[in-house]
Amino acid sequence: MAFKRDKKEEEDGGGNPFENIEKTSVLQEARAFNDTSVNPRKCTHILTKVLYLLNQGEILGTTEATEVFFAMTKLFQSKDVVLRRMVYLGIRELSSIAEDVIIVTSSLTKDMTGNEALYRAAAIRALCSITDVTMLQAIERYMKQAIVDKNPAVSSAALVSSLHLAKTAGELVKRWVNEAQEAFSSDNVMVQYHALGLMYHIRKTDRLAVIKLVSRLTKQGLKSPFAVCLLIRIACRLLEDDDSAPGTDSTLLSFIESCLRHKTELVIYEAAHAMVNLRRTTARELAPAVSVLQLFCSTSKPPLRFAAVRTLNQVAMSHPSAVTACNLDLENLITDSNRSIATLAITTLLKTGAESSVDRLMKQIASFVSEISDEFKIVVVQAIRALCTKFPRKHSVLMNFLSAMLRDEGGLDYKASIADTIITIIESNPEAKETGLAHLCEFIEDCEHTSLAVRILHLLGREGPKTKQPSRYIRFIYNRVILENAAVRGAAVAAMAQFGAQCPDLLENVQVLLARCQMDSDDEVRDRATYYYTILALSKRNLYNSYITESLQVSIPALEKSLHQYTLNASDTPFDMKSVPLAAVEPLVLENAPQKGAPEGTLLSTPAAPQRLGVSKEESALELLSNIPEFAPLLPQLGPIFRTSEPVELTESETEYVVRCIKHCFARHLLLQFDCLNTLSDQLLENVRVSLEPAEGYRILRELPIPKLPYNETCSAFCLLEFPEELTASTGTFGATLAYMVKDCDPATGLPDSDDGYDDTYMVEDVEVNLADQVQRVWKGNWAAAWEEAANLCELEDTYALTSMRSLQEASTNIVQFLGLQPADRSERVQEGKSSHTLYLAGVFRGGHDVLVRAKLALADGVTMQLTVRASNPDVAELVTSAVG
Amino acid sequence: MGLFDKLVTLFGLRKQEVKVLVVGLNNSGKTTVLNHFKSEDDKSTEIVPTVGFNIEKFKNQNVGFTALDMSGQGRYRDLWEFYYKDCQGIIFVVDSSDRLRLAVVRHELDLLLQHPDVSSRALPILFLANKMDQRDALSSVKIASGLGLDRILDKPWHICASNAITGEGLEEGVTWFTQQVRQVGQPGNRPNRTGPLASGKNN
Repeated sequence: MAFKRDKKEEEDGGGNPFENIEKTSVLQEARAFNDTSVNPRKCTHILTKVLYLLNQGEILGTTEATEVFFAMTKLFQSKDVVLRRMVYLGIRELSSIAEDVIIVTSSLTKDMTGNEALYRAAAIRALCSITDVTMLQAIERYMKQAIVDKNPAVSSAALVSSLHLAKTAGELVKRWVNEAQEAFSSDNVMVQYHALGLMYHIRKTDRLAVIKLVSRLTKQGLKSPFAVCLLIRIACRLLEDDDSAPGTDSTLLSFIESCLRHKTELVIYEAAHAMVNLRRTTARELAPAVSVLQLFCSTSKPPLRFAAVRTLNQVAMSHPSAVTACNLDLENLITDSNRSIATLAITTLLKTGAESSVDRLMKQIASFVSEISDEFKIVVVQAIRALCTKFPRKHSVLMNFLSAMLRDEGGLDYKASIADTIITIIESNPEAKETGLAHLCEFIEDCEHTSLAVRILHLLGREGPKTKQPSRYIRFIYNRVILENAAVRGAAVAAMAQFGAQCPDLLENVQVLLARCQMDSDDEVRDRATYYYTILALSKRNLYNSYITESLQVSIPALEKSLHQYTLNASDTPFDMKSVPLAAVEPLVLENAPQKGAPEGTLLSTPAAPQRLGVSKEESALELLSNIPEFAPLLPQLGPIFRTSEPVELTESETEYVVRCIKHCFARHLLLQFDCLNTLSDQLLENVRVSLEPAEGYRILRELPIPKLPYNETCSAFCLLEFPEELTASTGTFGATLAYMVKDCDPATGLPDSDDGYDDTYMVEDVEVNLADQVQRVWKGNWAAAWEEAANLCELEDTYALTSMRSLQEASTNIVQFLGLQPADRSERVQEGKSSHTLYLAGVFRGGHDVLVRAKLALADGVTMQLTVRASNPDVAELVTSAVG
Repeated sequence: MGLFDKLVTLFGLRKQEVKVLVVGLNNSGKTTVLNHFKSEDDKSTEIVPTVGFNIEKFKNQNVGFTALDMSGQGRYRDLWEFYYKDCQGIIFVVDSSDRLRLAVVRHELDLLLQHPDVSSRALPILFLANKMDQRDALSSVKIASGLGLDRILDKPWHICASNAITGEGLEEGVTWFTQQVRQVGQPGNRPNRTGPLASGKNN
């Protein structure tokens, strides 16, 4: 029997022996750890299974983990070396899930100070994973001893563990700096490297100490190449900091340069990589670094070739001339047997190459694109995107290539990046629009990713009606209605309606198709079809504009909240859409902004805090205000917050008191929030308020001072004002002074020395209320139609000479910023070399008055601007024109 | 192999292995007691408060002991119960000079005896009235009555005074303990309740 089974297993051959294991059965098996006499081989095998499960992402509950953990602690009785080391690994894996993990502290300290060399390093690592800040003091002595241990493995383990502990117990670890120093003089390359890491980490926040450390070590010359690499990275970080002293810069730079002549390739590469990535590198310094990379390009070692070509690829855009020097070597790498190297070489050449070589390179890359992984395909796609902006005339070659890639197999990320690229090309290059849309149409015929199909359908709906032959897209869109899932069908219906609204000659056909869609099996699709069908049947242009071509302008989370409120308080009045705050249009983020790489690597970088998604500034402000008891009852009278401005600094950043002002604009009221920070440790401020001298027409309704402002805390004082009746008087400047009572206090405890204080004031900068604070940006999909529609509203026109502006782009950016309106049809971007430009802007003034602005700009000795304003309220129009003058 | 194992055990030739739990309040001398049983090379010169637990091994009369030296500090006493289930005996160390905390000892002992993993089994318990050399040390009889040991009717127990630093009294206790464990371990020789009970009362 046993023989038979063996044979069968052999036949299966090479498969993963852990493939079919299951959590419950493994946990059951783990009870064997409790046996009186431990069978090391069996237990090692079970532990391996447990670790395998954990590494496969299986999640153990706290009780399960604790049970396994305590069973595992009993394995300490075995003297088997392999089992013990598995136990250490198990402890580390379970330390974050199980409870009471400190139970093994003594056992681990015994192993870490014992005679068995095989145990010691691993025991230190396990010990540090179970230790929290409160327990750390108990093991501090052992850690200090371990850091300076003669055994390099033990010393390294202790140093790296200290680095991990420093995350939670920074202050305690700082006391180990002398031990780290001693370890640093070790002969072992790893120990020296790890010691430097710890030493740097301890001093990281103290700039002067870091400079001292680096300048000492650069002279000394280190034995360990790893430590030299780290030193180069530290030096780079110092160089990147703006306010460094000029003297140290040159020494740091010459140190990095000297590393280019180091005997280890590792260090040479690190130095070259650092050189080309420094923001401040000049051509003179760049030359030796690039020549080193060039040399690496032609070595026989694949990793070096890869590293060199990858670095060149990354800096191809920032230092094109330097990279061009390596073109000949890169050409040789195109045929490299390693596909990753070849891909990077080609994309680098694409980034730097001339227009004439594009065709040849594209042909080359097409020959092996199917052999490389998705990740590198994305690199290729990004290179093509860069090319498109550089050589707009080549769009047909590139577009064909992209569409070929779209038809290939690939994951969502890959397909999305291609679609993104095509969309960027369409948007930046009007000539490419028709072909691009055609390619996308073909793609959605056979697209398995719902999210991508929906995006493309939306794009077709937006761009399609404006093309020469809109009718050709209808077929593609209607095919989706027949063949796809509900989400795609819904998007297709919406896209068709766009055609119906914007192309009168297609309306009849679209109506027929929409009527068919009303028979759909999905509720959402049917609803949409009925909705659009009904509106189109009315054939009123203004209805088309406001209900089909324009998207919803209120913020969706706010709408949800308001509707919820509405359903809670049953009332007879219909829901008023105007009461919902408008969605702020987020300024476009430039996609090709240089990504800031952390030169320190993963070791010491901290991840940025993720932004709260889906909540606008206005909503978070409202949440804040409704938590203040003094304001909560006032809020219903004030209505929703119309707009919250970006904070404005009223003081320099390094002064005794720091004051920032945030302006919350309501329909008829203005609420100023002053965030005050006290930076004096020996003062306690009481009754802090900002006393305002309001501009004419404004009335202060309510002031809310800060009762107590201790050292290093930020609190907010508020001031509620009413806008003047006269709209034109609503822009103005308020004089502001910080008024407060000072009490001297003990810096250590923060308790005041006596009850007596004295009143004092502190001058801060004026608060300005301008037009942009009272306007919310609104994005118009079809600005021209809205402008037509607004023809019967009040219109004002004026001409201005903007003498201080040097270029049209500068003028356009300034106007957009000043008026606080949203540019439509990408009109904020001025094409190079033009002498005139028209800017289309849209927005809503507080109180719900629509504002549309057309600014015609002409370049002639400064910039001349003809500004036309159409607004639903004559005062608003007047305010806009007067604000510019 | 299985049959051979059984035969060896039957004839008492094989070394027996038992797991014992060493508990007691902090600073009662648990680690020091175990240190006494270690071989000369392994003895540690300095004893520090245990955090969590330590595993020590020693031999007595051909029985191999695996002792789990538990931490006695207040916040770690909750962790003892994780090990009740699979131990074959308990050594309870009491600081006989610490009159003040005798009530705490009694409370901890009650908790231990009431625990389902202990109350259902006839585990032998050895009480060591440690630090007998101290001037104000209580006698073992006084400690037995102070802890109410006569209430333990279903388990064999024994108390003896000891001095863990010199090793005085430890041999006596462990010899008793070894015998108890032997009786439990050998098939056909079920533990005799009256025997150990009598021995408990006589002391």
